[in-house]
Amino acid sequence: MASVIVAIVASLFLLFIVGPVAGLVGSGGGRGLASLVSDSELRQSLSLTALTATTATFLGILGGTPIAYVLARRTFRGKALLAAIMDLPLVIPHPVAGIALLLVLGRGTTLGSALYAAGLRVAGSPTGIICAMLFVSAPLYVSAARESFARVDARFEAVARTLGDDAWRAFRRVTLPLSARGLTAAAIVMWARAVSEFGAIVILTYNPKVASVLSYDRFTAFGLQEALPVAAVLVLLALVPLAALRALRKE
Amino acid sequence: MISLRLVNSRVGHFRLTDITFDVADGGYGVVIGPAGAGKTTLLETIAGVTRATSGQIILRGEDMTTVAPERRRLGIVYQHAYLFPHLTVRENVEYGAASAADAEDAADRFGVEGLFDRAVESLSGGERQLVAIARAIAAKPEVLLLDEPFSALDPRTRGETRRQLRATYFERGFTVLQVTHDFAEAGVLGDVAIVLDRGRVVQKGDPADVFHRPVSPYLAVFLGVENVFAGTARPIRAEAPDWRDAAGDQFAELPVAFTTGALTFYALGDVVPGPAHAVIRAEEVSLSVEPSMSSMQNQFRGRIVEIVPAGALSKVTVEASGTSIVAAVTARSVRELSLDVGREIVAGFKATAVHLC
Amino acid sequence: MIGLLAAADTLVLFVAASLTKPLQPVLDAFTAQTGIVVQRESGASLEHVRKITDLHRVPDVLLLADADVFPRYLMPAHATWYADFARNRMVVAYTPKSRHAAEITADNWMSILQRGDVEIGRTDPRIAPVGYRTLLMFQLAERYYKKPGLAKSLFDHAPDRNIRPNAAELAALLAAGELDYIYDYQSVAESNGFRYVVLPPQIDLGDAHREKDYESVSVQVRGASPGTTTTVRGEPILYGMTIPRAAPHPVSADRFVAYLFSPAVVKQLRDAHVDMLANPVVHGSGAPAGLRGGAGR
Repeated sequence: MASVIVAIVASLFLLFIVGPVAGLVGSGGGRGLASLVSDSELRQSLSLTALTATTATFLGILGGTPIAYVLARRTFRGKALLAAIMDLPLVIPHPVAGIALLLVLGRGTTLGSALYAAGLRVAGSPTGIICAMLFVSAPLYVSAARESFARVDARFEAVARTLGDDAWRAFRRVTLPLSARGLTAAAIVMWARAVSEFGAIVILTYNPKVASVLSYDRFTAFGLQEALPVAAVLVLLALVPLAALRALRKE
Repeated sequence: MISLRLVNSRVGHFRLTDITFDVADGGYGVVIGPAGAGKTTLLETIAGVTRATSGQIILRGEDMTTVAPERRRLGIVYQHAYLFPHLTVRENVEYGAASAADAEDAADRFGVEGLFDRAVESLSGGERQLVAIARAIAAKPEVLLLDEPFSALDPRTRGETRRQLRATYFERGFTVLQVTHDFAEAGVLGDVAIVLDRGRVVQKGDPADVFHRPVSPYLAVFLGVENVFAGTARPIRAEAPDWRDAAGDQFAELPVAFTTGALTFYALGDVVPGPAHAVIRAEEVSLSVEPSMSSMQNQFRGRIVEIVPAGALSKVTVEASGTSIVAAVTARSVRELSLDVGREIVAGFKATAVHLC
Repeated sequence: MIGLLAAADTLVLFVAASLTKPLQPVLDAFTAQTGIVVQRESGASLEHVRKITDLHRVPDVLLLADADVFPRYLMPAHATWYADFARNRMVVAYTPKSRHAAEITADNWMSILQRGDVEIGRTDPRIAPVGYRTLLMFQLAERYYKKPGLAKSLFDHAPDRNIRPNAAELAALLAAGELDYIYDYQSVAESNGFRYVVLPPQIDLGDAHREKDYESVSVQVRGASPGTTTTVRGEPILYGMTIPRAAPHPVSADRFVAYLFSPAVVKQLRDAHVDMLANPVVHGSGAPAGLRGGAGR
């Protein structure tokens, strides 16, 4: 009896997840893909989205990997605090995150005005998009990467050290290869999150429009029917990272 | 050489406190102790993978306390190989070796050269352990740390590997510190034994000494001493019979009467009168049909209640006046004396065999 | 039973972004007085329109910054009447932090805003009335100051990256120091405490008597379906409101409208720099009786 109930609940849940997505792709998918050919604004938006998300992911890997490693391996005072700070962006409402970034990187702030003077514009530019994406999605990378490192027994590194490797070499020759799959999966999750961000990005950079902003713009200006193809294309494109994740797991 | 002075370190729940001992240059130290004593932590602290929070670690005369592990010129072999799973056997053995020739030589010594092109996961547990040992040896360490390296091996391979390791050890003259559960092995291999319990060194010295004179009854039990008795000790200088040792000289220590149950043992030692424990190794208990006229100060008549064959020896438990005494005798003696359960027999041991703690 | 109770106790309000701040105290007082809970949603005109026409989320009262939106998108399917109720005008808003804040005046604003070193923002003309009104104002300015090419220049100096979807977001960026100047409504500037340049009435779309002048300029904005464009002519800025046909709580809606146009509230809004008309001007049929009678004074 219990297993029947579980099966029913699971099926309903699955339907709940798959239903809207299938409906979206079903109603707009064909038109959406067709419009890719003619709609240059859509194409530009998609490539901007891919570019900024990829850049944000690279930056996240660069800065987040050392933090994830330290969290996985070391014990130190304030470790719990550091972990909590890394998770903060996940609980902040997205527009609030955008505002928070503006308060630090905006033209009127110390850091922001220095960047502005150096010619680096944050708000209203792809840089702003990257900052917003990085802020909301990096925590996902850090916690998944931390898990991957934790799953590599520290004794492997200890053996490598005694065999003559310094810390960096042991990391490169042992830890990294053994956690590569997990790290890649973490990066893909981060990328997917970056691509789907809206609220934080729109505060910093409305133009140029990333795909999420464009779909909202299309909806507002033209209505649901016109927004559907854009949304459907986005969903189909979102299958790319998912497929990559699956391929990774099968290996 | 390995010298530790008041070394403290900590990993999670495992804590080492004021560890002090020495293993001479080229010596072979063995570390024994119950589970959770911190033996692996000790090895990892010496290796530098766990930081010592205080104290000094001196290897080959150099203070290595703050030196990074990769510069300590030592090798470590864990109980479970820890072969790098993403590398082949060859790449594992060559990992820290100065040349492919060194790696091949090391692999050859332990018979794993034939496994070189195999993937790690295709090896059996025993094979992996051999590769792990070869890997450590290939890097030509000056100090070798072993954490129960043979426990994953079957008895025959164990013996062979131990021999090979000894041979390499003699040949190259590095210093060894080995954690072991096997007391016989410890007695055979080591020239210094370090007993670790709850993160502290509770006894150290010559292995034979440690085994015969464990510093506490608890340790005695742990070390596998078969006869541990609780009772009362009383110096008996005034009443001493004229005891002499084998050479005919008087003993340096004072005679002591130790009463347990209905029996009284005669022992030697400087003890405070009061509760104590007496520890006697089964090997030191001999059996005879009649009390012998020898200098054995302790002889008790009793009845055999159990005979347990244990390899070359048999453990014979004799019940004498309500107290059980275990003797270890050769299988031959069992036959010659026609020992059997229920038989009356005399168990005897010298006063010098009784260790009081 | 619960549904009935809920219907009496709730009011769903879609309001133009630029009106939100001055309206909030009015909403709070309304709730305090009547016990009716107000669910307020704030955004650009077209955002609200889409919610009604496409998402079928219909409010009880709709207050928009462009009265023209009603006939264009919502009548007759979603509404049978609408009422003009307030005026507004275009200004150039700034703060003490803005570059050249000390220099700018009603006479030199065009030249300052054409310098390369200031960040100027405007609203998206594709979804918010204030956006295309900005463009209309540029054209009127070109004619008024007799400077050919001024409209394009002003347009170029408020580039895409400084566009935001609605007036409130634009104001937020100005307040944050991210922008130096914004083209926005006077009411927004006042309620945010910004300084602003008063523009000549010939160009600020705020004078009801200059309808003919305003009509002479137009801009092309994106039409209702992709690939189409609509021509929007200049006209005085008028805020419009309606109670949609499918309002979920019509009782609350009527009470609110009566409250909104009561003399005390009209005065309160005027004090908050919302230029309320003396009498709302009703178009179409079916409006509440009280409204038609000219409730305000």
